[in-house]
Amino acid sequence: MTIAEQKPPAVLIDQASKWYGQVIGINEVSLAIDGGVTGILGPNGAGKSTLFKMMMGRIKPNQGSVRLFGVDPWTNTSPYRRVGYVSESEKLYEWMTALDFVTTLARLHGMTREEATDRSKHVLEFVGLTDVMHKELGKYSKGMRQRVKIAHALVHDPDLIVLDEPLHGCDPIARTSIMSVIRELGRQGKTVLVSSHILEEIERITEQIVILHNGRLLAIGNLHAIRDMLDKHPHRILINCEDPRSMAGLFVSQDPVFGVRFPSEGQLEIQTNDLSAAHSLLPSIVVSSNQKITSIENPDDNLESLLGYLIREAS
Amino acid sequence: MEVAFGAGDGDDEATAIVARSEASLGTIFEQSYRPWRGELGPRWMRNYAIYRHHVYGVFTGKGHRQYHPMVRLMILVIFLGSLTPIPMLFLSSLFGDDGGFFDKMWGINRYNLWGQVLGYFPRNLCMWPLLTAIVVGGMISDDRQHGTSAIYFSRPVSRLDYTAMKYASVAVILGFVIVFSYFAYYTSAIVFKGEGWAYLSDTLPMFLSGILAGVILVITYTSIGLALSSISQSRFFAAIGFLSIIYGTKIVSQLVEWTFETTFLYVISPYDCLAHLGQLLLGLPLNYEHPVSFSIVSLIAMNGISIWILVSRVSSLEVTRE
Repeated sequence: MTIAEQKPPAVLIDQASKWYGQVIGINEVSLAIDGGVTGILGPNGAGKSTLFKMMMGRIKPNQGSVRLFGVDPWTNTSPYRRVGYVSESEKLYEWMTALDFVTTLARLHGMTREEATDRSKHVLEFVGLTDVMHKELGKYSKGMRQRVKIAHALVHDPDLIVLDEPLHGCDPIARTSIMSVIRELGRQGKTVLVSSHILEEIERITEQIVILHNGRLLAIGNLHAIRDMLDKHPHRILINCEDPRSMAGLFVSQDPVFGVRFPSEGQLEIQTNDLSAAHSLLPSIVVSSNQKITSIENPDDNLESLLGYLIREAS
Repeated sequence: MEVAFGAGDGDDEATAIVARSEASLGTIFEQSYRPWRGELGPRWMRNYAIYRHHVYGVFTGKGHRQYHPMVRLMILVIFLGSLTPIPMLFLSSLFGDDGGFFDKMWGINRYNLWGQVLGYFPRNLCMWPLLTAIVVGGMISDDRQHGTSAIYFSRPVSRLDYTAMKYASVAVILGFVIVFSYFAYYTSAIVFKGEGWAYLSDTLPMFLSGILAGVILVITYTSIGLALSSISQSRFFAAIGFLSIIYGTKIVSQLVEWTFETTFLYVISPYDCLAHLGQLLLGLPLNYEHPVSFSIVSLIAMNGISIWILVSRVSSLEVTRE
């Protein structure tokens, strides 16, 4: 197969940059994504929404290029026949029922009335809103509204689904439901991009992640491989217990532990280079210490820590 | 007293409501996604979906744009108001009043055809501007305010399609009331009076000129109204802005005419430019001193500027950082 015959990837971003006056939104980002679920991670202001807006043709990159299925979305709306987009800020028509709303948007894709109604009922069933599809959107909870947004993004059976913070503001049940919807779409072979600033959320959906910070691409690839990078740098485990000093005595003799601290009364901080090995030691040491443990925390096992590490590595 | 002050020991009829410790039942639904194998329709189907969403909303809110019940009522009242010459024509035909008072006031002639579209009171003072204001009010400003333009732009709908369909929706609603009522007035006159082909051939050129004047009025009011709707996030601003332009320019021009005895400043008044052009089209004596070409140029400029504002504002929708 020649290069010309190759199918273009769903998303191809080449050296794209976008700045708003002095503020850099996206800084020379290059990406190619095709198939499966990919998590776009980054703290607030990292450039996730800017990246999505460039992909959706809402904003034009100041330099570089963005292609959806090989077509520039800024100059041509044809790729949107194959794209479903859930914007973080988008509002719904509050007076409409979910079925009317999704049907209306299906018709904006050029479906006939019958096709639009049938398909809308199916996608609303898929996101678990069949029971309430005749209820006005103004009466929906945040989680239900997010699911309606996903339904309207899926109504024309797109190949690429872009979800900007779909779990934001949802309760745990809605999160679980939306996550399983996203996983199912990935299993169907769709290309799904999901943005979030919470690592754990993405972790439950996919292993393929892209990390953005200050508009720059910090890491891309398998989550475990990136986490392994994190595991090579010092980690802390905070244990709240009755007698931290006797507990510390049990830890210091162990291999993965290279230091202990007592940050506050009743608190022990263990420092380790191998977080999983240290965690595997925990149960036996806790049992042998014979004391009451009120909490165990990993303050470094979060996105901020991962980002901090990646930023330091980058610099 | 015992009841009032709770003097008893309280145990004799003690009752309480206790929350029942039932486990909350979750919902498990079958998450099976079924791919769709159909063909998406062409561009005209997508554009028609935008158009019907806005136009059908006047009649029913189910699945369409929401017009406040008062807005719908107002449109109905204005529409019925614009049809009032028809019962008078009917009365005229009943009385056999050829050339009499009824016929002069409501029969088909150049003045009445002009007045049906371009008469100042009540149509261009109370009806058409108000109708335009309530229809264009939230047409684009609502999308700006709520971010609902994203609904269109994340689909294969270009900004040109979006603008054109919004424009067509407003123009069709205004046209239905203004041009359709004019058409109904003319045809009613023929039917009620039992006129034949000779009458038709005599009056048809006047009638068509009136239609043209009505279409120009609809286009001008739509352009100005939508431009105002596109620059604001408030339907109130767009509506009041439109009324201010129509009435404000008229008042200022009239004051200048009364003070300086010149009609020249009427070129800034959309209504007067339309009225002036309408007089020319219907072959009426012109009651403005300045040449009609000034009014035509002014109308072209008003429409041009309005459409330029509309297009540039829609082009920038959501393009800036939100």
